[in-house]
Amino acid sequence: MTHAAARIGRRRRIAIDLWAVFNLVGSLGKYLGLAVIFPIAVALWYSEPFWPYLLSGAVTSGLGVVLERATARPDTRLGVREGFLVVALTWLLAAAFASMPYLLAGGAQLSSPIDAYFEGMSGFTTTGASVVTDFDDLDQSLLMWRQFTQWLGGMGIIVLAIAVLPRLRVGGRQMMESELPGPEIGALSERIRSTARRLWVLYAVLTILQAVVLAGLGWAGVDEAMTPFKAIAHALATMPTGGFSTEPRSIEGFSAETQWVIAVFMLIAGANFALLYKAFVRRRLRLLPRDEEFRLYVALVLGASVAITVMLWGYGISEGEAAVRAAVFQTLSIVTTTGFATTDFAVWPAVMLLAIFALMFVGGSAGSTGGGIKVVRHLLLGKILRREIDQTLSPEVVMPIRLNNAPVDERTLRAIAFFILLYVGMWAVGASVIAIDSAVSNVGLGTLDALAVSATALGNIGPAFGLAGPMGSFAELGDVSKITMIGLMWAGRLEILPVVVLLTRHYWRL
Amino acid sequence: MRVFLIGAGQVGTTIVEALHEDHEITVLDTEGSRLQALTSRFDVAVFEGNGTSRKDLAAAGIGRADLVIACTSRDEVNIVAGMFSRREAEKATTVIRTSSSEYVELWREGQLDVDFVVSSELETAYAISSILGVPAARQTDVFADGQVQVGEFDVDEDASADVVGVPLRNASLPSDSKVAAIIRGDELILPRGDEVIRHGDRIVVIGSPAAAKAWSELLWPEGGIVRDVVIYGAGRVGSAIARVLREQGLSVRMIEAQRDQARRAAEAFPDVRVFNASGFDPDFLERERIGQAQAAIFAMRDDAKNQYAASLARVHGVPFTVAIAHEAVSISAFEQAGIDVSVNPRAVTAEEIVRFAHDPRMQQVAMLEGNRFEVLDVTTRDTSRYIGMAFRDMPVHGSLIGAIVRNGTAIFPHGDDVLEAGDRVIIFTEAANAPWVVEAL
Repeated sequence: MTHAAARIGRRRRIAIDLWAVFNLVGSLGKYLGLAVIFPIAVALWYSEPFWPYLLSGAVTSGLGVVLERATARPDTRLGVREGFLVVALTWLLAAAFASMPYLLAGGAQLSSPIDAYFEGMSGFTTTGASVVTDFDDLDQSLLMWRQFTQWLGGMGIIVLAIAVLPRLRVGGRQMMESELPGPEIGALSERIRSTARRLWVLYAVLTILQAVVLAGLGWAGVDEAMTPFKAIAHALATMPTGGFSTEPRSIEGFSAETQWVIAVFMLIAGANFALLYKAFVRRRLRLLPRDEEFRLYVALVLGASVAITVMLWGYGISEGEAAVRAAVFQTLSIVTTTGFATTDFAVWPAVMLLAIFALMFVGGSAGSTGGGIKVVRHLLLGKILRREIDQTLSPEVVMPIRLNNAPVDERTLRAIAFFILLYVGMWAVGASVIAIDSAVSNVGLGTLDALAVSATALGNIGPAFGLAGPMGSFAELGDVSKITMIGLMWAGRLEILPVVVLLTRHYWRL
Repeated sequence: MRVFLIGAGQVGTTIVEALHEDHEITVLDTEGSRLQALTSRFDVAVFEGNGTSRKDLAAAGIGRADLVIACTSRDEVNIVAGMFSRREAEKATTVIRTSSSEYVELWREGQLDVDFVVSSELETAYAISSILGVPAARQTDVFADGQVQVGEFDVDEDASADVVGVPLRNASLPSDSKVAAIIRGDELILPRGDEVIRHGDRIVVIGSPAAAKAWSELLWPEGGIVRDVVIYGAGRVGSAIARVLREQGLSVRMIEAQRDQARRAAEAFPDVRVFNASGFDPDFLERERIGQAQAAIFAMRDDAKNQYAASLARVHGVPFTVAIAHEAVSISAFEQAGIDVSVNPRAVTAEEIVRFAHDPRMQQVAMLEGNRFEVLDVTTRDTSRYIGMAFRDMPVHGSLIGAIVRNGTAIFPHGDDVLEAGDRVIIFTEAANAPWVVEAL
């Protein structure tokens, strides 16, 4: 038997197993690199140089393999603590991977590493904010790569929502409860893998369906502007609620029919995928109107659409079907955090800008690819507030808060209130930094514009106001603003908490 | 009939009390002292053993029983005993007591292999719900699928002059009802037309539910229909009561001192306002206007708390109080304290179980005034000597026919109506007379 003093050993202060984290990130990178097969195929089809993608993929996969090999240890622990870091690092590295082809093949407008990384992060977080100003200067394959990063990002979010975040909450309950409030996703299937696979299939099928419908419109001559390339490109950016477009003026140049089709798919993309699966694949359509979040989601979209239609008509901006279409499309685009536009809403009157601005804080449904606060959190926050008011009068009353008739855990409710507080705080800080930076570096960004830029980044939406409007670009913003936005997109995509946890001392050290 | 009883607690004792004169009873219990107490009062066979042991059950002679009643306070014991009884005594009727409505559900779905399941909580809740239907009644019971109601009323100073101090034949009594008995002190009167109801009497009325309500209004003219109830205690009994009352559309509020229990109740009943409070805090009672409720039910676990809370609720203005008395002795204490109605869950359960021991022609039994009187629901035989006889010609014998059910419809007979074969008779009788009455019909 060894002496006790020898067994005590050195002090071990690092609280997380970094080897395990790097090992998993490495193995994810290994597979992520394979994604370049798609842009390589596009490049070959259009006879464009494919080496930028090949190089990016090779570097990513190669580094992944090296990292995986170098960090392989016999007994690693991959628990909740490690999960936070894996998730955070994965999105940072995926954005770097996405930015490599931009640096290699993007020409002058994407030559700055910050701009390229911005574009990469905007893609993988399905935000859709862009620094590209001259779309004609980009290769077809690079345009398709932008769209494809969003589609990959959307896939990542589904896994994140189903497989990773619920597992993180096993141990880190109070921090993670807000990721999946209520009975969605987890209840769909006992086994997380098969759930993820089913939702991936649903996601892919819907994307293909949209591409076929859009291409059909072009083929039938309904929309002259819609080529098969553009049909695929926009389908790749709709289901993940991304918002990148191959066109400088987003969806404006397409016909009314195309715009309606995209609006319908945005509506679908902003709904809870698990609910959609049950409703459409399992043929239980009655579930849709019974779901409280879905009801509120639809009600919000309808209400906002009516309000904006009235304003568009009232201000004489447009009328008739065009007004309804513009209102519905813009509402859906902002609420679902997609970020397409059929009209330059940045030039609308201030009242309407405020309406759009307010919609930026809605976010899609939980379990969708949309970002933002999410409808279910608003719903539950409303119920919390109503209860608080009731309990002011009757402190003894016990009122469990229900979602779809199931009582919601009190800890989850606290986490939701905390999340919204954190969200608003982070938005305010981001807006201040962007406003100050714009003032210092003489960028013509107004106060409301700066507030909207912060909200659009944190909510993974895309367009803001002013020069960063839907037809504009973020290229003119200062580097500090861009880095801030990168951070906001990243934090917003990961539902803030996993990122904030990394900033605490006790995450790293005992 | 040979009755095999598992459990000699309060329910068991009440059952023995009701059945020991006419049946051969064997009681099995783990505690010798309980059995000893039982043998010193009644002529029953006892066996000290475990209800979950097949060997003990067999040794105690369960195989010869016609009726097996498992009525310990533990569900698991009752279910296991019921299961073994199925094997050991194949022809016997098996009745088990449970305190969980889940087992009642299972039994209704046919998942529990026993003949009958009786839940104390549910029986208590039904009892309370029928009391609230007729708030002036001290005790009430329904027969013939709810067509006939029996109520025991106190006649106090508020009672209408239409019925008090007037010979019954001249009084304007609610139609479809009959005064079955007048209890004056220790005396029981089976009234004839010249009898007079006096203040301070206690009367037993048999009639249609509408008539029972009418009686309630006559005897308690200020009273209305109870629509708004406060339940103290959200345990199993309180929750069962809340469920039954909610099903009937009453507005219910609940007060529960334990946080977890309150939360569970609030989760189970979305439209019930649940308060996490003791119910003893005057500020709380005032702030929540508990006194404005039309009735309060005290279903807490502790009789003393029930009594105090009921008195306090009275002080705050609750007009009608119903309390659960877990101990039989509490019933008279509650009465002294001015609680309007007391319900003993074990007595209610025992009453429900006892009906299985009666003649198969007998559908239901209610026990009144402790066990002094019974109300029976008996089907007449073809050979009964009373067939074809007009009611006015029937002998009295300490019993009275309150209603008959003919072809599924309740009839409240007059003197010249005639009894027919196959009629179901709702009859009020002294307990001692019950076997004779059943025999005669």
